[in-house]
Amino acid sequence: MPRDEFQQSLANLRAEVLSMSDLVGDRLDRALTALETIDETAARDVIEGDDAVDRRYLELEATCIQLFAQQQPVAGDLRFVAASFKILTDLERVADLAVNLAQYTLEADRKRFEQVDLSAIGDLACEMLDDAMTAYRIDDAALCRSVAARDDELDSLCQRASERVVRDLIEREVADGDGWAVEQLLDDVSRLLLIVRDLERVGDHAVNVAARTLYMIESDPELV
Amino acid sequence: MSDSQQTQPQSQTRTKTTGSDQPLETTSGETVEETRDEWTEYNFDGEAKMVAEDLDVYYGDDHALKSVSMEIPEQSVTALIGPSGCGKSTYLRCLNRMNDRINAASVDGSVQLDGNEIYQDGINLVELRKRVGMVFQSPNPFPKSIRDNIAYGPRKHGDINTGLLARLLGRDDSEAERELVERALKQAALWDEVHDRMDDNALGLSGGQQQRLCIARCLSVDPEVILMDEPASALDPIATAKIEDLIHDLAEEYTVVIVTHNMQQAARISDQTAVFLTGGKLVEYDDTDRIFENPQSQRVEDYISGKFG
Repeated sequence: MPRDEFQQSLANLRAEVLSMSDLVGDRLDRALTALETIDETAARDVIEGDDAVDRRYLELEATCIQLFAQQQPVAGDLRFVAASFKILTDLERVADLAVNLAQYTLEADRKRFEQVDLSAIGDLACEMLDDAMTAYRIDDAALCRSVAARDDELDSLCQRASERVVRDLIEREVADGDGWAVEQLLDDVSRLLLIVRDLERVGDHAVNVAARTLYMIESDPELV
Repeated sequence: MSDSQQTQPQSQTRTKTTGSDQPLETTSGETVEETRDEWTEYNFDGEAKMVAEDLDVYYGDDHALKSVSMEIPEQSVTALIGPSGCGKSTYLRCLNRMNDRINAASVDGSVQLDGNEIYQDGINLVELRKRVGMVFQSPNPFPKSIRDNIAYGPRKHGDINTGLLARLLGRDDSEAERELVERALKQAALWDEVHDRMDDNALGLSGGQQQRLCIARCLSVDPEVILMDEPASALDPIATAKIEDLIHDLAEEYTVVIVTHNMQQAARISDQTAVFLTGGKLVEYDDTDRIFENPQSQRVEDYISGKFG
């Protein structure tokens, strides 16, 4: 087949994007575990590791630009490189969100709001991202649509969690004159709302990955 | 495909029929790639300037073009792409009956210009080729002055104001001719580079300038359709860019059909692209952005992606 080298470059790009997604998925897992177990060491590890993700992202972005410039891909090849280019951005953002989660862990030295099941939300967001990347790996259009469909579920989990925390805030009685307790409570509430928001965003990025993957497979922009 | 009717190659003759009542079928066992009619049914806004129906061309025993039906929208750029020997240049040459000049070629089917059959007896070929002009791969100016290259056609065609007829009538046509030459050279984006040396020999121009001169020469007889057979393949990137800009501008007024081996060129300059593949078949015809982003045929995808051909 002519253009063997180009075809090899495309195969390499796919492998590299998948390896970056493994890296990002691992960061997200560790950030969630750190949050769950208040593990400051693991949280610091996630934060410090972000530079490596950023470097990887820039390298792969450059690879895509080089392929556009030098190989001028068309048709399925074009859609693959264009989708990969966009997916890399989403992966990099997910890594940033993992850093956010790690930072919340450092800020919160105690567990509050045990009644909110953050792990269920985190698990769903991670699963969506995993599935979106699997769809990218094996060209699975049905899986893309399934990821997009799960976003509503994630959104409603997030909304319920937020409402629960806010309701709790309203109902909680703080001893008169205990300013310190009020500050702490506000801190905890806003932090939890931020965590929920960030997990919801992880899901949004997973949907973006699925949307670009569907475009790549079927040239169908329905999810974009 | 069923062999409801087989037409034997007819060397040395140039028969034409009006297509629809005598469709040609592919001889059995020749189909290599999957083809579907809907891939070549191109829907576009506006009018068709030229329409080919069930067009077959034989060079002796060689069936070079197989039952090609395709409509060319007016005032746009239509690119014909495909590997060597796929029939795209053969198809192009059918559009102004240049294949008539090849003795072994026989053409069957129909080609219409503004609804009028060009493969009918008694058609004026000079008039046809004036309306459907052609620019070739290698610039081929006459070994004459720049001015004479452009004025040759109008003089020859006997335009009432500028041609032979005018001269016979004793009219002074020099001013009209000067204007016509200037207009054609301006349209071909060459005027600024040559206006002060109109009497120099055209062969002294650079390759890119010569090609624009040939385009100006084609424009000087006021054509409606311009056929271009790889017009930039012998030019450097700068000259190519100028020709491409020119083609883009020409499409505002003329119908341009261009054969190119340069896939990116087709992607850059054309509104619609027809892909011919080995065996003389039109496999896919659609908006250029669709062909290059999401072609329907796997073979077309493989071809434009450089996976074969």
